[in-house]
Amino acid sequence: MERTKKNVNLNSIIYALVYGATYLPATLLLKYRVFGQPLSIIIAVIPIITFAIFILKFIKAFSVMDEVKQRVQLEAVVIGFSLTAMLIMLLFLLSLCDISDFGWFGYANLLGFCWIFYFVGWFISKKKYGV
Amino acid sequence: MKNTIKVERAKKNWTQEDLAGEIGISRQSVNSIETGKFIPSTTLALKMAKVFGVSVESIFQLETTD
Repeated sequence: MERTKKNVNLNSIIYALVYGATYLPATLLLKYRVFGQPLSIIIAVIPIITFAIFILKFIKAFSVMDEVKQRVQLEAVVIGFSLTAMLIMLLFLLSLCDISDFGWFGYANLLGFCWIFYFVGWFISKKKYGV
Repeated sequence: MKNTIKVERAKKNWTQEDLAGEIGISRQSVNSIETGKFIPSTTLALKMAKVFGVSVESIFQLETTD
């Protein structure tokens, strides 16, 4: 049972790395327009598929975590989601004031901020519950 | 909510790791519950009571502020 839990947790980490390993090269390939449009579309879809697989593995890992760890993950996701939603709202509202020259807040940067906010939430929650 | 997990562990001469193994959670989670940072579910509280051979009420008690 314990080994199964560890394997499931390890699986979610491995798929997170696989997602990272497909996302970064795909970004570079698409940015520098190495291939034609049909192949570029396929390259753009690959990280989405690996991310979807990672999310499925993460949900499976969540289901075998003990309740303290589940609470930590839940709070991390809630904090990460809330902060990202607040940032997007702020950017949208500022754009309505004709202030939209945000060099650091493009789609790619927002994704990075989303991950940073999740890890901030994770850190806060881990400190709170002492795990 | 206060608890007597540390006392019960001492009676059985168990480490947090031992208790964690008995009830199927991690050592860090046992520590979190023991220090009162996390209030366990009824299921987990019942599991603890079972492995210690005592009632749930004798492990977990409400404080006046609860």
